[in-house]
Amino acid sequence: MLVGAFAVAHTPQLLIRPETEDRDLVLRVHAAMARVKGRLQEMKPDAIAIIAGDHVEAFFLDAVPALAVYVGRECAGTFGPYRYRLDIQEDLARAVVEQGIERGFDLLYTQDARLDYAFYVPLHFVMPEPVVPIVPLHVNVYLPPQPTPARCHAWGTALGEIFRARPERVAVIASGGMSHFPGTDRYDSPEFDYDRGVLEALREGRGRELARVTGEELDKRGNIELRTWITLLGAVGDVRAEVYCYEPSWHHGNAVVEWPLR
Amino acid sequence: MASRQRGGGVAAAVSDSTHYRFPPSQAYPLNRCLFALKSDRAFAERFLADAHAATEEMGLTEGERADLRHMDRDALVARGAHPYLVFMAGLRLKMLAEPTKLEYF
Repeated sequence: MLVGAFAVAHTPQLLIRPETEDRDLVLRVHAAMARVKGRLQEMKPDAIAIIAGDHVEAFFLDAVPALAVYVGRECAGTFGPYRYRLDIQEDLARAVVEQGIERGFDLLYTQDARLDYAFYVPLHFVMPEPVVPIVPLHVNVYLPPQPTPARCHAWGTALGEIFRARPERVAVIASGGMSHFPGTDRYDSPEFDYDRGVLEALREGRGRELARVTGEELDKRGNIELRTWITLLGAVGDVRAEVYCYEPSWHHGNAVVEWPLR
Repeated sequence: MASRQRGGGVAAAVSDSTHYRFPPSQAYPLNRCLFALKSDRAFAERFLADAHAATEEMGLTEGERADLRHMDRDALVARGAHPYLVFMAGLRLKMLAEPTKLEYF
């Protein structure tokens, strides 16, 4: 069953803060993430399905999957001095692959790929105690051509159906966003007003509208990572979002959101 | 039509306006090197010690090697480097060079 749904920023500066970053802002985002951790403690999930876009870490140009599922016993990665290793809820991961393919999604699965920081950063801050196993779900956001928002939404709809039919209590987290333009001349001028418009639509339960935006629009708005949110929105439907925080830094719109499920 | 001629084709003209573009195959060695700088700490340390020696056998042009030494973002991206790889490679090198200026959570 599906017991929780969240979106959490994964800006690396939240984990490793250089002097360029406002410490108070970072701590406010941490406080919002602590609320997510508290909610997860209450929900007592058996597994956390985390949807993130690999930052060309596990999947370089030798093989670029649109959608991938980690289905080993565990997964591991590194980021700076951090070394992490997390258990995978293997039964659930395998059900996602098998039923996903049965439903027409040509998924890549891996039992060995590295786990990018996009998965790790939210979990570093929100993982409940005791620790629960995860199901990492990759959506290609950085290497064009990426899956369309409509396809992401359809995949999320399928994921929601799969999770609801399972015996495990599953919480879903979309990692990433909002507006940022790393490596481009727009780095110091994200589209914060666009973000606020998206958050307003989500508060009103109009998330399905995001399935209709184009990939070009997401690129233009610095929101290529919103594909992970759009995937999650397919699973949660018209539930109204509660925005825990929106903290725009000089280069990034940091948001933490919950979709409270009944 | 002008943009089609400049971009070298319809697909190029369409993607010219986007921030993250399809990585051209001629830039594969360059992107491979940036990927290693981002994700392979031992290689990044060798590069910091001697960029020219570290990139000796990576199939790069002299121009690409010069732009890498200076981490010239615009020049690298113009050569087909993925902007995110340029960004993160540069950040990783900086983190290795100045580790004391970071706060870890």
